[in-house]
Amino acid sequence: MLNLMMQLQMLLTALSALLPLIPVDQRGRAAEFLDVAARALAVGGTIAGNLDDLARKLAAIRGDVEAMAAAGRAVTPGELDAAIIHVRTASAAFRAALETAEASTA
Amino acid sequence: MRHRVRTFTLACVLALAPACASLQLGQTRIENPIAAATSLDQRAYALLQTYAVLIEEATDVVRDPVTPLALTRALGQAERMATPAAEALGIAVAAYVRARGDFEAASGQDQTTLEHAALALAITARRLDEAVGAAKAPIAELQSLVRARRG
Repeated sequence: MLNLMMQLQMLLTALSALLPLIPVDQRGRAAEFLDVAARALAVGGTIAGNLDDLARKLAAIRGDVEAMAAAGRAVTPGELDAAIIHVRTASAAFRAALETAEASTA
Repeated sequence: MRHRVRTFTLACVLALAPACASLQLGQTRIENPIAAATSLDQRAYALLQTYAVLIEEATDVVRDPVTPLALTRALGQAERMATPAAEALGIAVAAYVRARGDFEAASGQDQTTLEHAALALAITARRLDEAVGAAKAPIAELQSLVRARRG
């Protein structure tokens, strides 16, 4: 996955080197496109890294649920409260990050 | 980028699809916690925890300064739709757990008390089932948002 990202980034670099060959009136647009593509690839790298983290966290939750299911055990009020707090905390952090991101681009 | 976002979202959506036990993405195996649940309350718990983890991951994406604003806004829109559904699910499962506790406590009581507790448990179970179903809709909306981005 990361190899593919690196190959695409190298391809973008190579395409950037060809910019001077593009007619002047279209050069700005091509440069803009390459810039967007480069930023998009960087985001792809972030997501690829996040995928492992996501997989680890989901496996941990699945382990908890499997243990409950194997024991034929119901979810306790304490576990439920923890899950609800987890959602609220994650949502608050997300909204704060969103506000910061939007403010920085304003 | 669209491919990456699509992969990420597909992973999220498939992780939330009860019929799918897991998903292999390259070297990464994405487990589905909801598929492991054998009861309604376990399913709701798995859905809440999974949703929280997805939002944590989305937060990392939003915090990254190279993330395009359009993607940030799409994630923001998806979160605004999904979190109220998750909150409603939390309320429904809390009511169900309370009603189940009351029902278990009423098992040694007289017939009327037991019938009332059984009725309350049945009502909260139905509401919880509806809340689980409703919580899936915003996830589908997230999927359609990303599909729209694919063009």
